[in-house]
Amino acid sequence: MSHSKAATIFNKDEKKVNWHDKALWFVRHKRDKSAHSVKGWEELRNLGHGIKAHTLSNLDTYLIQFEENAIKNGVQVHWAADADEHNKIVQSILKAHNAKKVVKSKSMLTEECHLNPFLEANDIEVIDTDLGERIVQLAKEPPSHIVLPAIHKKKEEVDVLFQEHLGTKPCDGDPQYLTGEARKHLREKFIQADAAITGVNFAVADTGGFVVCTNEGNADMGVHLAPVHIACMGIEKLIPKQEHLGVFLRLLGRSATGQHITTYSSHFKKPRNGAKMHIVIVDNGRTEQLSRPDFRASLHCIRCGACMNTCPIYRRSGGHSYDSTIPGPIGSILSPGKDLKKHSTLPFASTLCGSCSDVCPVKIDIHTQLYKWRQIITKETPQPFIKKTSMKMMGNIFSKPSQFDKVGKVARWSLRNLPKGMINSKPNVWGKARDLPLGPKESFEDWYKKRNKDEQ
Amino acid sequence: MSSRDYILKRAKANKPEAIALPKIDVSVFDDSRNILSEFTLKVETAGGNVFEATSDDDVISKVKSMFPDGKVNFSTLKHTKNFNTLNIEKINKPHDLEDLDVLVLESSFGVAENGAIWVADSQLPMRVLPFIAKHLVLVLNKDSIVTFMHQAYKKLSSNDTDFGVFISGPSKTADIEQSLVIGAHGALSLSVFLKEN
Amino acid sequence: MKVGLFIPCYINQLYPQVGKATLELLERLNVDVMYPLGQTCCGQPMANSGYEYESVGSCNNFVSNFKDFDYIVTPSGSCAYHVKKHYDIIPQTDDVVKVRENVYELCDFILNVLKVKNVGAKFPYKVGIHKSCHGLRGLRLGSCSEKVTEAYSYIGELLKEVSGTEVIELTRADECCGFGGTFAVTEEAISVKMGKDRIKDHLDNGVEVITATDTSCLMHLEGLVTRNKQPLKILHIAEILNSVN
Repeated sequence: MSHSKAATIFNKDEKKVNWHDKALWFVRHKRDKSAHSVKGWEELRNLGHGIKAHTLSNLDTYLIQFEENAIKNGVQVHWAADADEHNKIVQSILKAHNAKKVVKSKSMLTEECHLNPFLEANDIEVIDTDLGERIVQLAKEPPSHIVLPAIHKKKEEVDVLFQEHLGTKPCDGDPQYLTGEARKHLREKFIQADAAITGVNFAVADTGGFVVCTNEGNADMGVHLAPVHIACMGIEKLIPKQEHLGVFLRLLGRSATGQHITTYSSHFKKPRNGAKMHIVIVDNGRTEQLSRPDFRASLHCIRCGACMNTCPIYRRSGGHSYDSTIPGPIGSILSPGKDLKKHSTLPFASTLCGSCSDVCPVKIDIHTQLYKWRQIITKETPQPFIKKTSMKMMGNIFSKPSQFDKVGKVARWSLRNLPKGMINSKPNVWGKARDLPLGPKESFEDWYKKRNKDEQ
Repeated sequence: MSSRDYILKRAKANKPEAIALPKIDVSVFDDSRNILSEFTLKVETAGGNVFEATSDDDVISKVKSMFPDGKVNFSTLKHTKNFNTLNIEKINKPHDLEDLDVLVLESSFGVAENGAIWVADSQLPMRVLPFIAKHLVLVLNKDSIVTFMHQAYKKLSSNDTDFGVFISGPSKTADIEQSLVIGAHGALSLSVFLKEN
Repeated sequence: MKVGLFIPCYINQLYPQVGKATLELLERLNVDVMYPLGQTCCGQPMANSGYEYESVGSCNNFVSNFKDFDYIVTPSGSCAYHVKKHYDIIPQTDDVVKVRENVYELCDFILNVLKVKNVGAKFPYKVGIHKSCHGLRGLRLGSCSEKVTEAYSYIGELLKEVSGTEVIELTRADECCGFGGTFAVTEEAISVKMGKDRIKDHLDNGVEVITATDTSCLMHLEGLVTRNKQPLKILHIAEILNSVN
């Protein structure tokens, strides 16, 4: 389904749209407050951008350095070219440790690879332990936001969901009670888990270590209890040195939720005594994106979600309308690189207002990339006949002033003289909810010529 | 070709020309805020509480009065054996710490700009401790607080930790309609004690 | 100083009063301004729809119209931005480079080239500024709420000096109105919802007149206001700055 169709359906319930918009604007507002309290914020963004650009320009070297150091630390490193290989690697690690019950903290990469259904099909229980992710897992839905996976769900819906799956009491959607019950439910899962899977926020080449950020403490609860830790990361998660974490941890929390730092920023280097640690490094289309000069900066993304919170379209269409693992502005520049045809409407789901680029902590030129994807999509995917021909016509008309003048006259006459019912008939989508201006008798150019004549 | 070689080959072939690594100039961030009051403010913003203490004994007696119902307690402070109700050396697996009510840990430093406090393997008999305890108490010296994360990583560059974590406030979530709830999976409360040297 | 007046296609045909106000205002400020005949469009509608290659004729026509002027001034931040940012699809001749360098949005030109703050206008109303995105985040005609910079606004500075005008603060200072060119029809539902929300913000804060540096945004907002019979007037900033009587 195209984005605009999905967005139209979402907009049938205006009250829900208002609620969704407000909830996310609140997060954007918190981000503003905390970003504006940092002196040198823009310099911090420059650094974030610069460090990431530098890393990508030396990516192979840093990957090798990271692997070397990780192995020295006693970690087993695996490489996956695509989602399928990633899933098989994870499964084989679990099999080798005879692990049947897995707890997983938030990882957009494992979402992208559809790891859960794969493991479940292989008789492995996977429990998402981030509260928001657990909610959407129980609802059998994908996350609608990369930081706030269940932002589209009303608390009353969570209430009903928990009654059904966790046997909670009806509570009018009391978040305190529901969170408490989730804590108990997931505590059991943590205690029983045979393995813990986490994502990676930052992987540090010169130490072989990596950092995982959570607010709930779910990654740590999983990892420090289970005998096996599997960390899955895209190749773009690398940064050169540990000191660079200082830049990114200052940017991440503030951009994501307005917190000055997430509650837990856990630095993993070596497995604890008696436990095992694995890292799976995944490509899955990333080196392809790296090859595109106009789009490679999309790999700078640190997954803070700020572009979603600020996007006036995302806020009013919901994450699911994007039908891709990463929704919103950043998703709209990443997804076409993976499947141009499937995601061909996403770069058009924007007014190019530029708010995403200005809010981005690593200065990805998101709206410029949206514009550039549009140019590619119209050439490489089938376009509606009417759009194609009307653009060609416009191109011709605007090339020749005399033609523009004629067409303009007809348009103005029509706006002035045709009945409103005809102007706003069905083919005129503009007129469904908006009036068109009244057609003035003379154009500016007509008036200007006349005025010059009169003056002579 | 192995996937490793395939990925590395493609990364090498597809990367842009070398781009210089920017230098971090910390002076542009100087905001001349008072370190101690900034730290306290940020710990509180993150949902924690800050107290002052004159000595380890002082910390323990204050903790005892704060959590009178704590049945299972553990502290890594020196000379606080009578506070501890469990012998950490006798714990075989981390799961056995599930009933831990109050945990007191020492930390080597904190960060003013965000209230984060560093807890590392060297101060942690078991990694799961600060996450599994119901109430977490962190103790640090007043003069160990640095201004920004940049200085924090300067401190860390000289010590080689296998595991370490910055903790800012108690565990929390806002995943249900953006309502903040303190106490998700980790500690339900965080108390920070600042000691004079 | 020879100034060429650039009147965007839709202003030329549908909002000639905005073009007249711009010309009169510049003449009142003693600018040697002329309007080169034979203007069409900057090419933006095609380019933003993904058909940059269909806009080449427009770009060439634009450059040949304006290559001999010292400055090109237009009552549209969006069109000025398009010339500056996206004219790299035609060969970068000296003329093209010159045109791209010298194109100015009206408020920017008055404030920063003419160095005039008070244009001598009188407009006794409560005015809400809609900060059109391409002017704001493209041309940086003001500070935006995302970036941490000093606060400024060219349109705001000019309005502050207009006698009788009270500039009203909005709850969301610079959210997009949802026009977005063909977006307005391809994503009709969201476009309309964004416009309605923007208008509500102005109404909730007691605005009587919405103004902006772009008539495209205003056409969208006016379309909604007229359809829904809301008590708001919509005027381009040139019309306000040209209110002398």
